[in-house]
Amino acid sequence: MKRLRLFLLAGCLVGLFWGEAQGITPEARQKVITAASKNLIEIGLSYRGDQIHFFGVNPVPGSDLIIRLTAEKDEEIKLSVKGRVGPFWMTVKQYEVTGAPFMYKIHASKPIDRIISADTARELEIGYPAVRDRMKMHLSRGTATPEDADKVFQGLIKIKEKGNLYNIVEDPQRLEITEGKLFKHYFRFPPAATEGRYLVESFSFEKGELVGYGKDVIEIKKVGLENWLTETSQNSPVFFGILAVLVAVSAGLGVGMIFRKGGHH
Amino acid sequence: MEIYLPIAGMSMNFFLIIGIGGLVGFLSGLFGVGGGFLLTPLMMMIGIPPAVAAASDSNQIVAAASSGAFAHWRLGNVDFKMGLVILAGGIFGGTIGVQLVKVLRAMGNFEFVMKVVYVIMLGLVGSAMFVESLRTIRRSRSQAATAGAAASEPKLAKLFTKMPLKMNFHRSGLHTSAIFPFAIGTIVGVMAALLGVGGGFIMVPAMIYIIGMPTIAAIGTDLFQIVLTSANVTLQQAFVNKTVDLLLALILLAGSTIGAQFGAMAGKRLKGEQIRILLAIIVLVLTVKLFLDLVLTPDDLVSLAPAKGGGH
Repeated sequence: MKRLRLFLLAGCLVGLFWGEAQGITPEARQKVITAASKNLIEIGLSYRGDQIHFFGVNPVPGSDLIIRLTAEKDEEIKLSVKGRVGPFWMTVKQYEVTGAPFMYKIHASKPIDRIISADTARELEIGYPAVRDRMKMHLSRGTATPEDADKVFQGLIKIKEKGNLYNIVEDPQRLEITEGKLFKHYFRFPPAATEGRYLVESFSFEKGELVGYGKDVIEIKKVGLENWLTETSQNSPVFFGILAVLVAVSAGLGVGMIFRKGGHH
Repeated sequence: MEIYLPIAGMSMNFFLIIGIGGLVGFLSGLFGVGGGFLLTPLMMMIGIPPAVAAASDSNQIVAAASSGAFAHWRLGNVDFKMGLVILAGGIFGGTIGVQLVKVLRAMGNFEFVMKVVYVIMLGLVGSAMFVESLRTIRRSRSQAATAGAAASEPKLAKLFTKMPLKMNFHRSGLHTSAIFPFAIGTIVGVMAALLGVGGGFIMVPAMIYIIGMPTIAAIGTDLFQIVLTSANVTLQQAFVNKTVDLLLALILLAGSTIGAQFGAMAGKRLKGEQIRILLAIIVLVLTVKLFLDLVLTPDDLVSLAPAKGGGH
């Protein structure tokens, strides 16, 4: 028994080092030096999304660039799949989806498949197929069919793209590189982008090999009244409920006194 | 001008929200209805999540009804005893309703149930009003209409006087069973939670035609109980579903109070049956729109379901 355990441990260690030697470790490459126009987005009363400009220096002049924006935390979401029941359309099954990033955007200086191989893309989690690899689906209601996986994944991408939370832009116009070295671009954070930390990673590739890597962290947080309302409603629901009613009653009575008519007849 | 709604988690045009509030307020001032039943579907149409729309509308109704209730209370039009019996039912029903919302949200069919209930209810109310106002216009003599309405003595009211749990309702001049006011309070309470409505458009006719209360006392008492029923629903929604967007409710309120004043002014210039037929058409158009949502193939078969427990 003891020997078996030792053997397993040894196996694990070998596996660990083997994996290390085989995998691509972006941090070990040359640094892509970047600067963001700001690192903090504040959600205030008039928040309508924001735009952040990024500037960077390509460590290997003339190499290709792929920039990826992801939310630091993955999302646990539930997706409803509608189906026909008699004449009506209603939810017939639901999937719990884990491992999908809340936000996922890519800017590439040219089509990703012309920059890196499909394997490298998967390993570095670049592109929708990699998102799909990470995603786990669990049926929570209804009966599963084989085409569900595809349908749910496509549905998720569509929802995310509609909310401008996911997109992939493979366009040199969008990711400008001056003389192969200096690059600039911007990411738009839609109003749906909630509080949290977001990573903007710049990958530099030469002939399909990763040669440079850089990382920026962007934080989004609610401030002032927005922050207070959200915090209070989620963490002190009893107080918030009472407050909501009291505010409404006093507003109603106030208005009634101003107009002296009372609104209704 | 965009404004970020913290609980709905989205940015919306401020003038769009205040405009919708104003429109509904205008209609409610014109027609003398609460307008909650128009507000929730309109909120859903502009993209507010249904559960947030219903909960925030309840909050808004608390404000709108309290100003009306206050005025009626000063005029002595509130039958507190009747109001409290209905309220007991309303709180009972509202609590059931909020739990129902929780279950339906978890099952992913809240929106479906909400729309079905809306279609049935709006369809019934809309067609009844349409038919009634058409008839009135045909008769063309307003005297004949009022005579007709007065002639229809509530028959059910007699039945209720024979049921147990009899009580004296001084302000309404009634000695009748408490069971029916409680039951109708329960039904309206469930609907208030499910749909974010005050329920006045069902409650007032029920109080007049079924319980047999005088019209003015019915309206005053109804407003009084709406304040408390909606307050209960708002509290429950805040505790259980955490979907009350106070900011949204306040903007709606600002719009609706201003709109209601203009509505009341316009109401004095139009004839009663013209107003009613207009309201009937609005209600029916909304019904058709909601019905089509249910039967037409949706653009997206896969949609985001609210996370367990709502909120984060």
